[in-house]
Amino acid sequence: MANQTPAVVMDNGTGYSKLGFAGNDSPSFVFPTAIATKAAGSAGSSAGRPPVANKPSFLGGGGGASSNLSAKRGTEDLDFFIGDEALAAGQGPGYGVNYPIRHGQIENWDHMERFWSNSIFKYLRVEPEDHYFLLTEPPLNPPENRENTAEIMFESFNCAGLYIAVQAVLALAASWTSSKVTDRSLTGTVIDSGDGVTHVIPVAEGYVIGSSIKSIPIAGRDITYFVQNLLRDRAEPDSSLKTAEKVKEEYCYVSPDIVKEFARYDREPDRFLKHTVTAPNGRSINIDIGYERFLAPEIFFNPEIYSSDFLTPLPNVVDGVIQSSPIDVRRGLYKNIVLSGGSTLYKDFGRRLQRDIRHLVDDRIRASEARSGGARSGGLDVAVVTHKRQRHGPWFGGSLLGQTPEFRSYCHTKAEYDEIGPSIVRRFALLGGPGSS
Amino acid sequence: MFTRKEARGGKSWSFGGTPQMTSSLPNVNLSLRDLSACLSTTIEPIVVAFNMPAYHSIFLEDRDVPVIGNFPILPLRTRTRGPAYTLPPLPNTDDLDVSPESESYDCVDEILSLFRANVLFRNFEINGPADRMLIYGTLFISECLGKVKPTMNSRDAEKALTNAALDNFAIPGDVSFPLNQAFEAPRDRQDAETLRQFIAQVRQEIAIRLHGRLYPGGVGPSKFWLSFTKRKFMGKSL
Repeated sequence: MANQTPAVVMDNGTGYSKLGFAGNDSPSFVFPTAIATKAAGSAGSSAGRPPVANKPSFLGGGGGASSNLSAKRGTEDLDFFIGDEALAAGQGPGYGVNYPIRHGQIENWDHMERFWSNSIFKYLRVEPEDHYFLLTEPPLNPPENRENTAEIMFESFNCAGLYIAVQAVLALAASWTSSKVTDRSLTGTVIDSGDGVTHVIPVAEGYVIGSSIKSIPIAGRDITYFVQNLLRDRAEPDSSLKTAEKVKEEYCYVSPDIVKEFARYDREPDRFLKHTVTAPNGRSINIDIGYERFLAPEIFFNPEIYSSDFLTPLPNVVDGVIQSSPIDVRRGLYKNIVLSGGSTLYKDFGRRLQRDIRHLVDDRIRASEARSGGARSGGLDVAVVTHKRQRHGPWFGGSLLGQTPEFRSYCHTKAEYDEIGPSIVRRFALLGGPGSS
Repeated sequence: MFTRKEARGGKSWSFGGTPQMTSSLPNVNLSLRDLSACLSTTIEPIVVAFNMPAYHSIFLEDRDVPVIGNFPILPLRTRTRGPAYTLPPLPNTDDLDVSPESESYDCVDEILSLFRANVLFRNFEINGPADRMLIYGTLFISECLGKVKPTMNSRDAEKALTNAALDNFAIPGDVSFPLNQAFEAPRDRQDAETLRQFIAQVRQEIAIRLHGRLYPGGVGPSKFWLSFTKRKFMGKSL
């Protein structure tokens, strides 16, 4: 049976989970990685409930027995919601909303197990024993977390096979759909900007260069706040967070130069727009849209205009990350800078980033040419890849790799797991790397 | 630029951003923190910035600009009388978008075009006398915006702006001048008088041209301009 079914691809991020089947070009479900449980989220408050393994099971000793939690639970454990339903339930009484993933890593395994069980049975509606699963993990995920994941997937759900891929590597694979990418290499710099944080991750031949990863505390949420600030400065009739988010998503773009852009707005007044918000009481409110169209994404390139403690522009961070990587991969990292995540979708984001990084690189080359006294450099190619699958980059990369014929040979199967134990998932062969099609 | 925290290695990837002890750097690095720190009499270590994104004056390139103290006496396109060298008026009447290539382009054009961008920045590195003109002008525009209320019509705003320009004002070296850390006092009484007249010219010219931008076609004030009222360039105001 498992021979014909498509692999299930699940990308659980801090903010949103993306679920679907390999071979599709978009996830079937995208919902918040949230779970609403009884008793207001305070752990262990319900009496008579056994202390559930909140810690990874390797601390509890003994792989198999302890993870079979379902036997110890009462029925109150079945009373929970995930995703948008969880947020809705959290509004009412009796439920507390929990976010089992923090900073990309799974923090609460009990909640995550229940989240997955609903994802599989209620949303995707599949029999796990019939499907191979492709899950994702953040860079620098400890192998113990991977073992826990395998325990849950194999022992609780009895899934047919499992592969755990690094999100950044999948984001690189997703960029293969761009016409600019010709060589399908797994070397490149991934700029992953979601709602909470932006990561710059160098990847060489499919392996993440962990020591060079940098994160930036500016991402989608900050842009929304900044738009909201600008709306408030102008005393617009509606400046709620929701409106700010809408304005951000619909109207914002990246300008090449803000001074020139200001002058352009003076010359072409039709660049000022109007946005209509429908208030809860049915009335519609008109608000003006002005400079926030290009000022909001500008905080990536000039963080100073938004934040007082983080001041390094994104292009400088990317350049710094690549400069701190091993010298023999730098050329490849500059040549393939891949965008991923919702906050990289602004028009001309890639173009501006490419231009700014190229400036930095060219300046440095010129300086070292001058220092060397007459030597000429062959130059360095900087290319930022923008593609159509950016929004759900890691999920799409998973879908792409999960449909390849050799995908299954890279997975660990249930039989192998039973034979060797959870430690088997500490290593995975590199999917999509050299040697595979 | 670096904050102190970053330069001290709190965040990684410093570019040799060690604070340097220098008493007379040509590039005085201004930020709110630096300025307030400088108020204590000793000279503070100055962080050398590697990246200064705010916009600078193109008049920095001009050589032989006369200075009083370290404030430049730049040519102006103005009808107000004063010590500034007068540039030819524009061929057409529209002054909203003067090209920097034009011989009539003056520092007031520049101040007005850079204002909306620069006012967003908290840090600004002074690269020469012309940047001091830019700072002064930017802060004066902020002051002007504060005088224009959203309900004012064009005529009232014009009056308010002219009054703001003609009001008593402090010049570098005066006790009440807020930026004395970065601006030198004029050498003698006569220089001070010339500087005062020049700054008065600049203020009036800014007030006149700012009014044109706030009330394009006589209607306004533009809420997009007024939205910059609350922003404080470098955390300072005149």
